[in-house]
Amino acid sequence: MNNPHHLNPTSLKSRFTTRFLRALTKIRAQKPISSSSPTEIFRRYRRIKVAADKSMAYSVRSRRIWSKAMLWKLRSRSYRRQDPCSGRRSGKTNQAIMKKSSNENTTTRREDGVGFVEEADELRQLVPGGETMNLCNLLDETAHYIKCLTTQVQVMKKIADFYSF
Amino acid sequence: MADFSAQSYRQPFPFLDIDPTMESLTQFAELNPQSFILDNSAFNFQTFFPLSINDSLFSNQASEGETMSGFIHNSNQSSVSAQPIFSAKTEMEEISNKRKALDISESSSGNSSSTSPQVSETGIKRRNNSGRGKRAKSNEKEMEKPKEVVHVRARRGQATDSHSLAERVRRGKINERLRCLQDIVPGCYKTMGMALMLDEIINYVQSLQNQVEFLSMKLTAASTYYDFNSESDAMERMQRRQRSLKD
Repeated sequence: MNNPHHLNPTSLKSRFTTRFLRALTKIRAQKPISSSSPTEIFRRYRRIKVAADKSMAYSVRSRRIWSKAMLWKLRSRSYRRQDPCSGRRSGKTNQAIMKKSSNENTTTRREDGVGFVEEADELRQLVPGGETMNLCNLLDETAHYIKCLTTQVQVMKKIADFYSF
Repeated sequence: MADFSAQSYRQPFPFLDIDPTMESLTQFAELNPQSFILDNSAFNFQTFFPLSINDSLFSNQASEGETMSGFIHNSNQSSVSAQPIFSAKTEMEEISNKRKALDISESSSGNSSSTSPQVSETGIKRRNNSGRGKRAKSNEKEMEKPKEVVHVRARRGQATDSHSLAERVRRGKINERLRCLQDIVPGCYKTMGMALMLDEIINYVQSLQNQVEFLSMKLTAASTYYDFNSESDAMERMQRRQRSLKD
C-alpha cells in the first residue's frame, strides 16, 4: 500500500504526521487499557487530543502567536497536573502572561474603531492567544490557524480511516 | 449631466467617465448639485490624470463599492446631522477656504448667482462634514500631498490628517486580510459584509475544532478496540479490509 502523502519532508503536514504518530504510539505503549471503564477511555481521549494539539503547536514552533500561546497553555497545564504544589511555577507562567497582556494594552472591550467588536471577541476566544491581538494580527493568525487545523483534520482523518475497521 | 458639463466647462471631469460607481456619484450630485460643482472646482487639474492608476485599485474595490454604495447614500443623506467629526481645523478647511474664494468668483456662470455664495458655504460645510465622518470608499479622488511619506490615496471627501490616514491604512490592511480569509474559508461570498464574513469564519473555525475532537475520539475508539482484541486478529482484519479496498 503506497500512500505518498508526504512528498515534502519539511512541510507542515509531514512534520505534524511524524510527531503525532510518535505521540500516538507512545500513548498506546504507555497504558494499554485494561478495563473499558469510561474514565479510562476518556483519559485516553484527552491524551490523544492533547497530543494532537501539542504536535501541531510544536510543528509550528513559536513562529506564530497562536502556537506560542498554545504551547504556554499546554505547558502550564502539564505542570499543574504533574505537581499540584508547583503553584509557584504555574503562578510564574500566569504572571508572565498577565504582564505580557497588560503590556500590549488589552482591555476587556477592544474598540478598534471598526465596529465588529462582538465577532472579534468571539474569534479571540476561539483562536489561542487571541486576547492579546489587535484585529489586524488576529485575522492574520486566524488564517494560519485555519490552515493548520485543516492539515490536522486531514492527517487525523487518514490515520483514523487506517485504524478503524 | 449635460448641465454639469456646461456649467463646469472650465473644470474638466474626466473622472466621471472612469468612475465605476457613478450611480452613487450621480445620486450624490442630485442631492446637492451646486455644491458638487463648486467643491470640485478647486482641485488641481493634474490630479485628474493619475486617475487611471486608480482604476486598478478601483477594480479591486469594485465589489466593496457595491456594498458600500448603500452605505454612501445613507451617509450622504445624513451628512448634515451628527457625524463623528475629527479636529476642527485641518488642512481641508484651508483648502475649502481657498475653494470658497474661487467658487464665488466662478459661480457667476452658474444658475442662481444670488444664492450661490450661501449654497457654496453650506455645500462645502456639508462636504467637509461628510468627508470627515465618512469612512466608506466613495468615488475616488487623489489629492497631492507632497509631504506624505505613506502613499495613501486620499479619497474625495475624506479628511487628510495623520490620524485618519493611519486609520485608513489600518482598515486597508484589515480588508486585505479579510479578502485572504475569504479565499480560505468556504462559503464566503464576496458580496457579504465584514460582519457576516467574520461570522462565517467563526463557524468554520468552530467546525474544524469539533472535527479534531471527533477524530481524536475516533482514534481513541480504534486504539481501544485494537487493545482489546488480540493483535493477530486485528492485523488480519486490517489486511482483509485493505484487500477489499484495493478491489
